[in-house]
Amino acid sequence: MEFLIEFKDKLYETFIVDDRWKELTNGLKTTLLITFLAVLMGMVLGFLVAIVRSTHDKTGKLKLLNVISKVYLTVIRGTPVVVQLLVFYFVIFATVDINKILVAVIAFGLNSGAYVAEIVRSGIMSIDNGQFEAGASLGLSYPKIMMFIILPQAFKNVLPSLANECIVLLKETSVAGYIAIQDLTKGGDIIRSATYEAFLPLIAVALIYLVMVMILTSLVTKLERRLGKNDRN
Amino acid sequence: MKKILSAVCAVMIGAMMLTGCGGPEPNSVHKLDDLEGKKIGVQLGTVGMSYAEKYTKEVEKYNKGADAVQALKQGKVDAVIIDSEPAKVFVKKNDDLKILDEKFEPEEYAIAIKKGNTELTTKINDALKALKENGTLDSIKANWIGEDKGKNPYKTPDGTTYPNGTLTMATNAEFPPYELKEGGKVVGFDVDMMQAVCDHLGYELKITDMAFDSIIAAVNSGKADVGVAGMTVTEDRLKNVDFSDSYTTAEQVVIVRKK
Repeated sequence: MEFLIEFKDKLYETFIVDDRWKELTNGLKTTLLITFLAVLMGMVLGFLVAIVRSTHDKTGKLKLLNVISKVYLTVIRGTPVVVQLLVFYFVIFATVDINKILVAVIAFGLNSGAYVAEIVRSGIMSIDNGQFEAGASLGLSYPKIMMFIILPQAFKNVLPSLANECIVLLKETSVAGYIAIQDLTKGGDIIRSATYEAFLPLIAVALIYLVMVMILTSLVTKLERRLGKNDRN
Repeated sequence: MKKILSAVCAVMIGAMMLTGCGGPEPNSVHKLDDLEGKKIGVQLGTVGMSYAEKYTKEVEKYNKGADAVQALKQGKVDAVIIDSEPAKVFVKKNDDLKILDEKFEPEEYAIAIKKGNTELTTKINDALKALKENGTLDSIKANWIGEDKGKNPYKTPDGTTYPNGTLTMATNAEFPPYELKEGGKVVGFDVDMMQAVCDHLGYELKITDMAFDSIIAAVNSGKADVGVAGMTVTEDRLKNVDFSDSYTTAEQVVIVRKK
């Protein structure tokens, strides 16, 4: 019984006093905003890079773009995301007055783009070459084959990996606090620095991430089922 | 050929990104009242943070004081509120920064000890008292702060033994001259002071380095016996830990850009 009362006091102290729960809700908003925009940017960038890379592999065209893509992939996948974030904040946008959240979106978006690119490329390469030939024999141009025959099939194949990348990105944004962004993790840290109590803020933050990931997973499962409706098996 | 091409591309991208840099905005903070409504950089969980929150809603909470200072140099914040001695170190290393003459009220630094551990608190207070009386504390302070820096480092007296086991001190070695990393070791005023206290009490000193805002939690959870990190005694903190007697005083100051 005493334990319960103490727990209630701690709950009150951690979340209610000074409206501390707002640190978490505001942080959650920031985390979601960064993740959403970064996923969007990563998907667009990733698909473009993947198309460039696989077009080069299949037709030998787009040499320069392919080299740029390769450099981009090497640099981004070869360095940790925290370092990239700090480089963007303290080096590249050093003296430019730019919104921190935008910096984070660019850093996480570029980072995610590299992984999405390789995921999508593996999807494109997994489609049998016969599909290309069939499209070509129907007189379709290369872009049309890509757009209407290859990409829809590839997308379905890589959907689980793409969802995984979104989940990873969502959790990776927790390092945004390094550039003084008040995201969900930082919100927990701020509460922790005010109450000097680690258990509740950290558990609360962990639970919120967990719930977000679970929601995301269930959405993707639904989408997968939808896309799988017209499969013949 | 491909390698050369990619190198050229990388350089070009780098150059493109670096262009378009202007200087930071001119300094607009000349006295404490000017802080009203400005963007203020602080280290998370410090006393400077609570001061900053009184002046403005735009408080940028960095994980390290050095990051806040870096942001100040680049014009991402207008001022940084931080303890006076680290401020001096930062300003000495950065020609383009200065400390405002106007300061906040002086405050007491003390050692954080788990709430209710009166036995250890009493022991440490006795040791501090003895070290104050025999001048050890003053000479340690003089060795780290002021004119005679580095001239008279603290040495453990010959024949000191540690029959009482170890005492773990949690600190955040990003806070010169109180604690900093030198050659992979944590050194500083607080470290020497704590070493002297431990020598006096017969404990072997063990240091663990962690984030500043985790120190009190570490002391409370028993991960460390004491928290020593240039920590100011505040009412908020007193709710969660006990403090020893004060071992030195300091004040919060404001760092701004010179121009």
